[in-house]
Amino acid sequence: MKLRSSGREAEKIEPQMAPMIDVVFQLLIFFMLTLNIVEPEGDFNINMPITDSAEPSDEPKIFPDIKVRLVANEDGSLNTLRLGQVDLGNGANVFAGLNHEILKIIGKPGNPITKDMEVEIESDYNLHYEYTLKAVSACTGRLDSSGKHIIRYIEKIKFAPPVGGNTAGS
Amino acid sequence: MRIKSNKPAVAEIDMTPMIDIVFQLIAFFMVITNFEQIQADERVKLPSDSLAKPPVVKAADELVLNIGFKRTPEGELADPEAYIFYNGEDIPVLKFGPKFEQEARIYKQKNQDPKEVPVILRADALVKTGQIQDLIKLAQESGFTKFAFKAMQKTQ
Repeated sequence: MKLRSSGREAEKIEPQMAPMIDVVFQLLIFFMLTLNIVEPEGDFNINMPITDSAEPSDEPKIFPDIKVRLVANEDGSLNTLRLGQVDLGNGANVFAGLNHEILKIIGKPGNPITKDMEVEIESDYNLHYEYTLKAVSACTGRLDSSGKHIIRYIEKIKFAPPVGGNTAGS
Repeated sequence: MRIKSNKPAVAEIDMTPMIDIVFQLIAFFMVITNFEQIQADERVKLPSDSLAKPPVVKAADELVLNIGFKRTPEGELADPEAYIFYNGEDIPVLKFGPKFEQEARIYKQKNQDPKEVPVILRADALVKTGQIQDLIKLAQESGFTKFAFKAMQKTQ
């Protein structure tokens, strides 16, 4: 005993590092492999009351619905976007244009009248869903300059029955 | 001189900084790992939009439907028909009506009104709009009234 404690090196206790490092590396690799980067997702609320489109609602509306018509090409891409009677074309900025036109209609964002306003989106059956979503987004609002907050335009969005194509058999 | 030669021949590396870093990494990956069971199907390629913000208040109960295509490993469509990936089954969109009724029954058994349960549609960017509307119509026939579209938050 005396001999052991007399050594200068023995003063420092050396813990066994190797197994711990093994386990720690295992953990590290496990967490690295299980990591899957999920991009954040967001919601768009759609107002779809159960009413037969055949019978119009009785209560008179203060504002007529803003009608957005999406016309599709054969392959499902966007051909034309129409707001009411105005043709907005199909270029890259068409949804920015729609956003701008909606702003013109509502006057200013947060206007109380927007609570009574509704957008009706009428789309071709075979139009790709991404265009519909962009149209919904363009009507809903836009991001403010900082890119953090949403300036709401019109919250109520509904769909007209699709044009053309087969419909759901009940 | 003799005493020195008694020392082990293996050079002792100082492990402390390495272990520090490794623990840091572990902590980082643990925090970032998302064990939350989200009902998302990775086969669905969501459209992206800058306005898509995660909801502030999350509904306690929601019915998430993944609508997408069967794709080849290269990402091409293997089948032009859109399917709903539902509990491991692939159901064509127009045949989903009975499942909606089943879901509505389950919610009613739990004393929940299907009217109050939002139906979250996670649809692939290439799904036909008409099919989404057909699906909404089927859901309405079973008593669901709240709908929401999911989109990926655009990263700029």
